[in-house]
Amino acid sequence: MVNLLRLIDKGIEKGSSYILVLSIFLMLVFSVLIIVLRWIDISIPWFESFIRHLVLLATFLGGVLATGRGTHIGIDILSKYLEGQKLTQYKVWVNRLTYLASFGTLVWITKACYDFMIVELEYGKVEFLGLHSGVLVGIIPFGLGLIAYRFLFKFIDSFTPAGAAQ
Amino acid sequence: MIFIALGIIALALIGTPIFVIMGLVSLVAFSNAGIEVSAIGIEIYKIAAAPTLLTIPLFTFAGYLMAESGTPKRLFRLADSALGWMPGGVAIVSLVVCAFFTAFTGASGVTIVALGGLLYPILIEEKYSSKFSLGLITTSGSLGLLFPPSLPIILYGLVAKVDIDTLFKAGIVPGILLIVILSAWSIRNGAKKEKNEKKVFSRTELLAALKGAIWEILLPIGVLVGIYGGYTTVSEAAALTALYVLIIECFIYKDLNFFKDVPKVIYDSMALVGAILLILCCAMGVTNFLVDEEIPMQILDWMRTFLTNKYSFLLFLNIFLLIVGTMMDIFSAIIVVVPLITPIAAEFGVHPVHLAIIFLTNLEIGYITPPVGLNLFISSFRFKKPITELYRASFPFLLLLVFALILITYIPEISLIWIK
Repeated sequence: MVNLLRLIDKGIEKGSSYILVLSIFLMLVFSVLIIVLRWIDISIPWFESFIRHLVLLATFLGGVLATGRGTHIGIDILSKYLEGQKLTQYKVWVNRLTYLASFGTLVWITKACYDFMIVELEYGKVEFLGLHSGVLVGIIPFGLGLIAYRFLFKFIDSFTPAGAAQ
Repeated sequence: MIFIALGIIALALIGTPIFVIMGLVSLVAFSNAGIEVSAIGIEIYKIAAAPTLLTIPLFTFAGYLMAESGTPKRLFRLADSALGWMPGGVAIVSLVVCAFFTAFTGASGVTIVALGGLLYPILIEEKYSSKFSLGLITTSGSLGLLFPPSLPIILYGLVAKVDIDTLFKAGIVPGILLIVILSAWSIRNGAKKEKNEKKVFSRTELLAALKGAIWEILLPIGVLVGIYGGYTTVSEAAALTALYVLIIECFIYKDLNFFKDVPKVIYDSMALVGAILLILCCAMGVTNFLVDEEIPMQILDWMRTFLTNKYSFLLFLNIFLLIVGTMMDIFSAIIVVVPLITPIAAEFGVHPVHLAIIFLTNLEIGYITPPVGLNLFISSFRFKKPITELYRASFPFLLLLVFALILITYIPEISLIWIK
């Protein structure tokens, strides 16, 4: 069971990494294109909106990677103290608590953002390239959902020897 | 309600990511006020409407590309050939190179990781004490965050709705002031430790080093001319910077392999960007809720009972921000604290740009303030030294930065010299 969850987690990591590289290059190409086109007095209005949504996507996918690496920004006073005092067992339990709290909170926010997406799908409009604003809003629950899954996996994995050692 | 608040504080203190805490506070606050929690989605989606948001991933990407390449070595050679002959020269060189680097990498700890291994042995070889060298590198890790195009300045502008171009300009003189004060300390220390042969200035070496780093030297000049010459917006400057750095590092210097190294740089830089922008996303709900509930004005009314003028407010602000800086990283602090203090500061007659510089200087000091200053931990990890040794090593530098902060706070002209 844990192996299957690990496989999914690795799939999320890999998929997010590929999309992230693509997003950054698209961001770069379209941003430079806007400048070049402006020199010849051409303006394509949807380019800017497209780039901003790529930034939104990169934010959540970057968050997915940060979750896997455990590099989210936190206050971390207790954890560092326990590490300094070599109280590893307590640190493992503190980590489990943070993973579980993060998972629970993110499920709640994901649900809230999903509800917003449903409303947007009903009342929103087509933004660019035939993409509806509801679909673009979907980046938020999609990204948060992936992060939530990774926290859940970290919690479960922390009960395995390999996960607890991290 | 009090138990929920205490529970959330406890979760924050045990290391739950700040963006989760912000999200949880939003959910609880919205539920408690009878507001539909899906409004949090609306607040998060507002991020996609911020035109300058693009600058954050692109400048960070460019900074990380330089950190992974041979840029630190080339810049060090150049600065060493130009300033290394002075008393305290190597230390000053370290300060200048770190400041340059931090401006592009956003004081994210990358400076210490990328430059620490290069600078520390050089400082030791030049007979600086281990304590001085550690203190210098630890402090330099956040030096330069007042210079354009630093990530904290951009984030501050976004959150406080202050013009980012203006903030870039305002940070230059205070940033130079910090370097000058630390350089003076380094000269004093350098002269004392000068037991080896004096380094001689060589024009040939300077020209060779200049030729070697010419592409990197053109970068900050290009960014400033582009923005202030009216040729590009900040976002466009970020795009051109990222493209320029990508081309020079992969195809001119050939330090990085386009297919092997660049994806890794993207993962590293975007993990940081994701961590920062997620806090921004999740905090939008909280901050707007607090502003709607007029919490800043209630704090202002309470403050007016013991703060009577602008100067007492500034003193209070500095103490408050130094405490915040010891507990929170600069990005979380900007997102959480700025919306609360800006209306209060405006009531006390503090110029918004001056406030920004005071705020950022305080948080810069927070990086080396015990017990949880981020640079202290990064240096401890990088140099494999106990954290308490880093506390002692950084303390003189901390005092010098506090002195600079006092000047910046009480002489607004330092920040506003170029602001109309």
